[in-house]
Amino acid sequence: MKLVEALNITRAMQQRKLPMLRCFLATGFNALHLKTFLAAELSLVFAEQKIEVLDGLYGDLLGNIDRLAKSDCEIGVVLIEWSDLDPRLGIRSTARWTANELKNIVTTAKARAAQMQRTIEEASQHAPVVACLPTLPLLPFSFTPSCQSGSWDVELRGIMQSLSSVLAESGQVRVLNAQRLDLDSPLKDRHDIESEGLSGFPYRLPHASAVAGLIARLAQRPVPKKGLITDLDETVWSGILGENGVDGISWDLEHHSQMHALYQRFLGALMSEGVMVAVASKNDPELVEQALQRSDLAVSAGGIFPIEANWKPKSQSVSRILETWNVGADSVVFIDDSPLELAEVKAAHPQIECLQFPTGDSAAIYELIVRLRDLFGRSAVSEEDSIRVESIRRSQAGMALRGTPALEEFLEQAEAEVSFNLSKTPLDPRAFDLVNKTNQFNLNGNRYTEANWKKFLDDPASFLMVVSYQDKFGPLGKIAVVAGGYRERKLMVHTWVMSCRAFSRQIEYRCLAELVARFDFDEIEFAYQQTERNGPLREFLSEILKTPPSPNCVMARREMEDRLEFVMKPQEVSNG
Amino acid sequence: MDEQQARLANCFLAVFPDLSADEISSATSATVPSWDSVAGVTLLAVVEEEFGIALETDDLSRFDSFQDFLTYLRQTEVGERS
Repeated sequence: MKLVEALNITRAMQQRKLPMLRCFLATGFNALHLKTFLAAELSLVFAEQKIEVLDGLYGDLLGNIDRLAKSDCEIGVVLIEWSDLDPRLGIRSTARWTANELKNIVTTAKARAAQMQRTIEEASQHAPVVACLPTLPLLPFSFTPSCQSGSWDVELRGIMQSLSSVLAESGQVRVLNAQRLDLDSPLKDRHDIESEGLSGFPYRLPHASAVAGLIARLAQRPVPKKGLITDLDETVWSGILGENGVDGISWDLEHHSQMHALYQRFLGALMSEGVMVAVASKNDPELVEQALQRSDLAVSAGGIFPIEANWKPKSQSVSRILETWNVGADSVVFIDDSPLELAEVKAAHPQIECLQFPTGDSAAIYELIVRLRDLFGRSAVSEEDSIRVESIRRSQAGMALRGTPALEEFLEQAEAEVSFNLSKTPLDPRAFDLVNKTNQFNLNGNRYTEANWKKFLDDPASFLMVVSYQDKFGPLGKIAVVAGGYRERKLMVHTWVMSCRAFSRQIEYRCLAELVARFDFDEIEFAYQQTERNGPLREFLSEILKTPPSPNCVMARREMEDRLEFVMKPQEVSNG
Repeated sequence: MDEQQARLANCFLAVFPDLSADEISSATSATVPSWDSVAGVTLLAVVEEEFGIALETDDLSRFDSFQDFLTYLRQTEVGERS
């Protein structure tokens, strides 16, 4: 992005009437153009909000991080450069560089890094923080030639690596990936020495733009895709199964088809992170079964579910897979080497992300895998992620059980256990994710920023109920969230979401029954809003209310008790 | 207004969005209230980026108006497209 574009974007944004999103940019240098780029990039990422970027005082990074912690900004950004560790590492200082000073610089840097860690962690308790560690080259302060690493600069880099590692592990701070920045902004093109001397702004404009772009992407919690549907021939393996036979397909160095093994390994990694992986292939199903039993596969075929191998249009296979997974097409990526198949699937499922597997082009396959990493990237892997595929398999098995007996009987047979946790602390990232990712069983489609969610939970009048489910087939984990407020004998439900994996288990009724048991209210109000996709929630509320729901619809306690009579007695609260 | 002037005017408009089209060519640091030191540095950066040049910033006061920038660009013959 050019600076003039950034200025124009921010100007256009200021004229729009949108809710405000405030970001505090903590740097030790003059943030100048970086601030403009960041405001523009955040405006693009958070298109429904008006962005205001605040900054602190020149030369006082620690103080600025402290100001960030005390501000009510929804996003915090901390950008550390070498001179923030010790001013002697910056060009604006006039302090001496002697061999004797080097040890002292390292000692100072170590102490400063420890202080930074504490203040950044403190700030991250109030708002999500993005941290970016030194991006500029170290000045030639050490006695070694520029092509040789001296012990002092290795030590300084080690201090920053340690800080980066601790912050990344904390889970509260998102650390900008230095390797990604290296790809976007070459090291030799970053430092504007003239500008640093003139105005205290040390970045060349393209570097400032690259840093701001990556920070903005990190500031928005990513919503990863949930499933990947892949072709087999010339995709998972090299060759055509029907022509080459089970032993004629390959994914190894000997046949120059190693990149297919890399793709397989990547699919395996995705599965271990809870991404659903399925196959849609025009093939003989028996041959596919044999091929997937080959012991040298670099992915565990048992984790792929479902496998649609047939001769029908692939769009039909994709439809069945989406139905089995119970997810929307917009949560899924479809990979095929054939542009024709991609077009056919895209025509039937316009919201699906269709990507071509570039067979024969190793560099392009590598690029595809990097792109997929971005589409499926997440900050952490939760317990629910790791059991997702297995729970879908079990759900499919359970469908067979559900044929004749009544649902209640099925649930009894399944030994279903629903548990409710009404504790608001510690902050549950899974609850936040459910609120921001769920579409179908969603009261109103309202999303929260992390800072708004924390603010909501800090309100003493607010309540949060996180619902978990398990049955004899295994746990589904945390699958629903109900949140709202309680005032003057009125319970207000502002947020109600439930994972589609938990449908058809009467959990929604159990949620209401739990609210009746836990709160002494006269009436309950639902902040309902129709969205394009919340049909399942609308149907449920219509059944309970005996009329289609309207915004802020209200129901009396007695009425609700009558309609929930059939639901089992609420379970014990596990916590809170 | 020739192409060079138009590009320079766009730079001014990006930094000083409140200026009307008529005011741009006569804009000076004295007549534009929002032309402070930060705006001055931003304007320099935008002009450098737009014309692919490095302005001599030893004496910032020489870039005090639209006409100062235009004169510099014409003297150094940058930004002309044949």
